[in-house]
Amino acid sequence: MAVATFDAVVATPREGKFNKNAARRVRVAGKIPAVVYGAGLDPVAVTVDPRTITKILHSESGHNTIFDLNVEGSALTKAMIVDWQNEPIKGRLLHIDLKRIAMDKAMRVSVPVQLVGIPVGVKTQGGILEHVLREVEIECLPGDIPSHIDLDISGLELHGAIHISDLPHSGSIKFLGEEDATVAHVTVIKEEAAAEVAAPTEPEVAKKGKPEAAAAAAPAKK
Amino acid sequence: MLMPKKVKYRKQQRGRMTGKAWRGSDLSFGDYGLKVMECGYITDRQIEASRIAMTRFIKRGGKVWLRLFPDKPITRKPAETRMGKGKGAPDHWVCVVRPGRILFEMEGVNPEIAKEAMRLAAHKLPLKTTFVQRHDVVSTAAAK
Repeated sequence: MAVATFDAVVATPREGKFNKNAARRVRVAGKIPAVVYGAGLDPVAVTVDPRTITKILHSESGHNTIFDLNVEGSALTKAMIVDWQNEPIKGRLLHIDLKRIAMDKAMRVSVPVQLVGIPVGVKTQGGILEHVLREVEIECLPGDIPSHIDLDISGLELHGAIHISDLPHSGSIKFLGEEDATVAHVTVIKEEAAAEVAAPTEPEVAKKGKPEAAAAAAPAKK
Repeated sequence: MLMPKKVKYRKQQRGRMTGKAWRGSDLSFGDYGLKVMECGYITDRQIEASRIAMTRFIKRGGKVWLRLFPDKPITRKPAETRMGKGKGAPDHWVCVVRPGRILFEMEGVNPEIAKEAMRLAAHKLPLKTTFVQRHDVVSTAAAK
């Protein structure tokens, strides 16, 4: 279960303008802008401490962690991080979306799949393990959200694959993805042919106007 | 060398390289990646040299993804030509990268091997780069 042992996250409601300039000022002050919504209540623009949020995102249960949210001036609620934006160079948090959680209502979340063991196809047959689907979408009650789904792959042979249907199903969790979607497989890397010496130096230039077949099919104007 | 199969126009203007790579800046396929920290052009030859350096080092041990494609034609005038008389002929292809862009990704190897392979690849490139990996990979490696 992904219910956290974190302290309550304190969020301060934002006032004044909600433009880029105001968001930049919030970040300069060491906080990040965020929005709290869900549970049939009005959305509230807030500021939160990015260090607390980073700690939650890097915890074992990751973004599926349910924690207490204390928005100043309102009651304590359960919440979850549903979206976050990172700065592309340093990876600092820029903005997060927080969702109020009703603990008795089923919700859709993405849960990471962790592969356990080394496949036979990699150990003895010279294959390469490829983790295709790193997260699977499930539907369950907030209290039943697993921190991750463990998948034993030690028996996976060369050219073998594991699909969503092979994941450990339980009564409380419903998998939403297609049952035949590949989660992981063992493949062989093909030897690439040597680069062509006399490769074409210029690509074909697309012609303007309609393609010839379409032009012939069109009725001639009088 | 990598180049488009078909283009709409043979020649392009230079354009601008301001801003950050808001797209293509996260690891999407592999566990490890090479992130570029400044903007610039990466040519088809540099991409190919980096790819060869990486794949030779990992010796069929892992999988490599290229997250960039040289789709911008660069023209050159012949040597000893007077200025004018129009734009030169297409000479090579480049990819415009902005800081934060993931250039290559890798999977199926140890973090040390991936880091060394990316270091070799980075030596073939004209821009400053940094090695990145998924944070859960860091914790798994530390546990081992």
